[in-house]
Amino acid sequence: MNIVSYLDYTLLESTTTEREIIDLCNKARENNYYGICVNGSYVSLVKQFLQDTDIKVSTVVGFPLGCSTTKSKIYEAEQAIEDGAEEIGMVINLGFVKSKNYVSVLKDISDVKMAIGDMPLKVIIEISELNKNEIVRISEICIDAKADFIETSTGFSKSGATLTAIKIIKKTIKDAAKIKATGDILDHESALKYLEVGADRLGISTTYKGLNNNTRQQRNSKIYKKYLESAAKKSETTQTTPNFKEVSSNKFQDS
Amino acid sequence: MNPFSAYIDHTLLKASASTLDIIKLCEEAKQYHFFSVCVNSCYVSLTKASLSESSVKVCSVIGFPLGAMSTAAKVSETSEALKNGADEIDMVINVGFIKSKAFDAVEKDIAAVKALMPHKILKVILETCYLNDSEILKASELAISAGADFIKTSTGFGTRGASINDIKLMKSALKGEVKIKASGGIRDAETALQYINLGVKRLGTSSGIAIVNGSKSTSDY
Repeated sequence: MNIVSYLDYTLLESTTTEREIIDLCNKARENNYYGICVNGSYVSLVKQFLQDTDIKVSTVVGFPLGCSTTKSKIYEAEQAIEDGAEEIGMVINLGFVKSKNYVSVLKDISDVKMAIGDMPLKVIIEISELNKNEIVRISEICIDAKADFIETSTGFSKSGATLTAIKIIKKTIKDAAKIKATGDILDHESALKYLEVGADRLGISTTYKGLNNNTRQQRNSKIYKKYLESAAKKSETTQTTPNFKEVSSNKFQDS
Repeated sequence: MNPFSAYIDHTLLKASASTLDIIKLCEEAKQYHFFSVCVNSCYVSLTKASLSESSVKVCSVIGFPLGAMSTAAKVSETSEALKNGADEIDMVINVGFIKSKAFDAVEKDIAAVKALMPHKILKVILETCYLNDSEILKASELAISAGADFIKTSTGFGTRGASINDIKLMKSALKGEVKIKASGGIRDAETALQYINLGVKRLGTSSGIAIVNGSKSTSDY
């Protein structure tokens, strides 16, 4: 197992230039990352630069607020696929969540999923805006809506993924969908921690510090070995549920 | 009617705004005779319904707040918003394209949206906090030549809102009937007046009530 195969190399700042996108593609190619994630207006450019590779082109819709109409999200996704996107990350409608209009939250997601068919759909739930109960509820809704991934964060809110949130999502959905952690995954060590608690994919930015020198590699090797051992153990026992007692209750204040 | 009222786009754009928040916003706009209510596109229908039988206009943001979606997606979001009852559209310019000096693409992005709404007001948000002086001038020129009816400073989601310097630069690029909307960080009557005296014709703010009442708001838009 190689950690780079879990990483989506991401650049979503509005000020991003074509030059920076091309650098991003080259870096992704050098490091053989799993995927690359850019805004819709750069999908065709990325596709053009990566078409001879296996690197998956991923984009976002309704980003980062999630407040466009469902129809707009569908059209944005279809356009992105036409431009070459191979995975879609959509932001849920948080306003509908806060209005307790869960039917509309579900319909927003399931309509997009139906429209894009087999194309993997990552549903960004923006955990920084949700309390613990809402994380559980929205995770269940994502499963009902046939989401392929639940993704923690846009990277444009107050904070990104937390290990606690990943554990809550994992306990809720078991293996019904995959989990993507985004925001605040700054280096190899924290990446391993997220994988260990159940994340299947990690969104990293251009400032991510991977394994680029020997000292670092040595320092990390213990954690890495431990991770491999625990991963092996996990696959032996059929279903490991994280210990829910570990979840600190003060982290999520019910609003 | 308070002289400020007709300048104000009463605005609520945070992602977590609930349907009740939007209904309250509309009631306030009716009560204070604000020019419009400015919301995210998923709330256009609700806003239109809440404002029926009033003269308050419905304004929707598009490609918000990054402006980085494809042109086709902005066009489709706009067409949805118009169909759902939007009277005015505030679209975000593609900042990345400006930074890339892909000026043709910037202009086409705006012109494609304007083509859908030849007789309705299109405001183009430049997001001045990310632009230097010459980029603000260039972005203003591109927006105007692409058919913008207003050039607007900020989304309220960037690193800062409008500044006096932004307005001066944008003014120097104005042509014909094009107007300026200042937004972001306008929370009291004093600031509002400063912009109006500079020639700004519209203010985007969540603090309209405080402005009209001559108090200061703690809102962050």
